[in-house]
Amino acid sequence: MEKWECTACGYIYDPEAGDPEHDIPPGTPFESLPDDWVCPQCGVSKEFFQKID
Amino acid sequence: MRTIILGHGLAGTMAGKTLRELGSPAEIIIIGEEKYPYYPRPNLIDFIAGDLPLNRMFAFPPDWAEKQKIQVNYGRRITGLDKEKMAVEIDGQEWIKGDNLVLATGAAPLLPGIPGVEKKGVFSLRTIDDAQSLLEFLTAGPEPEVVVLGGGLLGLEIARAILKRGLKTVTVVEYFNRLLPRQLDETGARLLRVQLEKMGLKFLLGKEAAEIEGEGKVSQIKFKDGSQLPAGAIIVAAGVKPRIELALKAGLSCNRGLLVDDYLQTSQAGIYAAGDVAEHRGRIYGLIPAAFDQARTVAYNLAGQEKKYEGTVPANTLKVAGVFLTTAGLILPEGEGFEILSRLDEEQGVYKKLVFKDNQLVGAIWLGVKKGGQEISRLVQARKDPGQYKSNLLADNFDFSRLNNL
Repeated sequence: MEKWECTACGYIYDPEAGDPEHDIPPGTPFESLPDDWVCPQCGVSKEFFQKID
Repeated sequence: MRTIILGHGLAGTMAGKTLRELGSPAEIIIIGEEKYPYYPRPNLIDFIAGDLPLNRMFAFPPDWAEKQKIQVNYGRRITGLDKEKMAVEIDGQEWIKGDNLVLATGAAPLLPGIPGVEKKGVFSLRTIDDAQSLLEFLTAGPEPEVVVLGGGLLGLEIARAILKRGLKTVTVVEYFNRLLPRQLDETGARLLRVQLEKMGLKFLLGKEAAEIEGEGKVSQIKFKDGSQLPAGAIIVAAGVKPRIELALKAGLSCNRGLLVDDYLQTSQAGIYAAGDVAEHRGRIYGLIPAAFDQARTVAYNLAGQEKKYEGTVPANTLKVAGVFLTTAGLILPEGEGFEILSRLDEEQGVYKKLVFKDNQLVGAIWLGVKKGGQEISRLVQARKDPGQYKSNLLADNFDFSRLNNL
């Protein structure tokens, strides 16, 4: 599964790890994150994320 | 031990957050002017575009600060600063004393000193209240012709957002003769302009505003060359100025920003600064990654773990209506000893430029293409010599992951 990077602060969303602190279980692809999920590091919206090739 | 953080933007919030993550037992007090919990300012753009409702702008759950034992004072203004006593005055009423201070007072929009700038219908965008009054104005009554003053990153983002809201006439006016004068060279700027025009934005370049006219509220803008443009709403996005008034009055050394050393300490021991207010080695960044690095560094030093800040290489990935733009490092080199490789594909809307010094990659523009942008940007940050790959870097089919092993 692809990792996505926050273009604002550099945080990398790793689907294998998920974001358990915000109830995102490991194994959740970026595309399946809820619309109101925001970068756990700086808080920008999903729009700011870019797929890492 | 009490740390008082002045400012509840990204730098102030992240300084407090990191301090807690480092296990500091200090009492942390944040004083913020806005009445809202922490949010990152880029979310204001999504809010204006209609993509993000107000209640989803905020980074952390409502009980975050409480759980972190960070005391946030909302809607309060700092009116005084005593550097000897390590104390701040709030709302002109009470003084509170700390053991350390962090100045994260940010920056304020620069308004042009032209007649009419105070008129109804002239806006800038920095806070949630700014965004809300702008939206109210844009959506009340007949649709205004919108003029955005400033063709930098913020100006373009605002213009795109208003267009996305559904307004039809949005014109970006830029003093320079090209867009993103700080991030792009002439070729790149022209290409970007064509792309943005295709999505419906209008541009007036090389124009300097002279006067904002209108009875009661704005109706048009006049330029120095005598020409004019109808404007029912004007948004000023012509840069920001660090908010150093308090620091200046308190006798802290300032230039254009509040001066800090490599530990992000100001001229007074125990008083630190981070984010848009801080000037480090002659630079005021105004970028989220820099504010982040600085806030963290401050927190480490506050926690007694000595840490130096060496600067942040400005790498910026911007996406306007599907146009990818990565710019990193030095893109408009002046002086001698630079080597430039570039490739332009007008049809595909792709422009790549690489700037080398002594074979090290020191700057790059990657426009209209995403592939390779991140790797190139990393190469710039590391100031690496791409060696054998140098001649392949501009090729679309190059396997950029090879660069990771350099």
